[in-house]
Amino acid sequence: MIMEALLEIKGLHASVEGKEILHGVDLTIRPGEAHAVMGPNGAGKSTLSAVLTGRPGYEVTAGSVRFAGRDLLSMSPEERSWAGLFLSFQYPIEIPGVSMTNFLKAAVSARRKAAGLPELSAGEFLSLMKQKMALLKMKPEFAKREVNVGFSGGEKKRGEIFQMAMLEPVLSILDETDSGLDVDALKIVADGVNSLRTPETSAIIITHYHKLLEYIAPDVVHVLKEGRIVKTGGKELADQIEVEGFEGIDG
Amino acid sequence: MDRLYVIGWDEVPQHITLGAGESLKATFVFPSRVDAALDLTVDLTGPGAELDLAGIFVCADAETVDIRTRVRHLAGGCKSNQLFRGVADGRSRVRFDGLVYVAPDAQKTEAYQSCNSLLLNEAARVETDPQLEIYADDVVCSHGAAIGYLSADELFYMRSRGIPEEEARRLQILSFLSPVLSRLPESAYSLIGFQR
Repeated sequence: MIMEALLEIKGLHASVEGKEILHGVDLTIRPGEAHAVMGPNGAGKSTLSAVLTGRPGYEVTAGSVRFAGRDLLSMSPEERSWAGLFLSFQYPIEIPGVSMTNFLKAAVSARRKAAGLPELSAGEFLSLMKQKMALLKMKPEFAKREVNVGFSGGEKKRGEIFQMAMLEPVLSILDETDSGLDVDALKIVADGVNSLRTPETSAIIITHYHKLLEYIAPDVVHVLKEGRIVKTGGKELADQIEVEGFEGIDG
Repeated sequence: MDRLYVIGWDEVPQHITLGAGESLKATFVFPSRVDAALDLTVDLTGPGAELDLAGIFVCADAETVDIRTRVRHLAGGCKSNQLFRGVADGRSRVRFDGLVYVAPDAQKTEAYQSCNSLLLNEAARVETDPQLEIYADDVVCSHGAAIGYLSADELFYMRSRGIPEEEARRLQILSFLSPVLSRLPESAYSLIGFQR
């Protein structure tokens, strides 16, 4: 059976401050698939996630991206979110004075409005928060804390996956979600991600290391080097990188 | 004592004296869309006096906000903190002129002052002039005045979660104002253009 692609990137070139970082990336992801994108520092991994989510300052100079049948690159960051795209930030942003509850209430109600769904009552929203916080083993006071303010590295990353659980995306990009996590935090995050997986939801796991992929098994592994995908394989490619590094891999 | 003053509505003191062991927490609200001025002198005249002063302004149009404070530590062992936060949009004008004076024998003084503003429009102007005049040597004092813009990183983070740009900006402004906003009753929010 041939399934329609959820995400289809074709010949993507992108620049930051006039310097081309991505030199023609092709990538196709179908519903239910988890793809790992591995690569050394400066390969363009974070640029790829920035371009897909519409971060200002990144200019697409050639190529196309279709997401769930739509032209992704013509959509605003919030429209991309409403369409089911989610980015777990490598460096989550602190927003003093805004509680996690108010932040997510704004996000969830905008998303429901865009989908034509009625607004959740205060009680419905709080029970949804509780349910998703339990999934990520978060303490109840987390809901009252200011967004990412005073969070440890592990709490920030867990907070990102919690937001992912609240927004129920169809495609999640995990940008170096494993960086700065100890083994226990890594397991909690990976369990959270795994429990959110469905046959319809897909993920792009951006990482330097093979460790996270032991917990979240990818269907496909890509190696991104100097702005291009130089090799694509299965889980064994990640194992090879673990042993040999990125040096010897150039397609 | 915990006092809230709305400039233009309430009778606002011009000169306050805090004697030994007295303390005052006062918050000044500059309502949006009207010209407003505060000219306040506070003298700390006895050991242990404490002043916790804050102000908030959200200039939306062409109004002028003029803030002048003189906090004078005339006795040792007193504490003062001044915290002003505000937003300048439209063609508004904001002036902040704040002085902390520490007399020669006012040792063990703690005095802090900050006035941070967000500039939302190129046509708006914010001028700040924070001053310290310290004649004692065993003191802890700091002052700061920052004029900034909304953070692009914060804005993108919120939009990536599906929060529409306009709502994200409103949350950013609330975030910036929160250290002073948290001192106001919700009934005062509408004075500065916020609904809860």
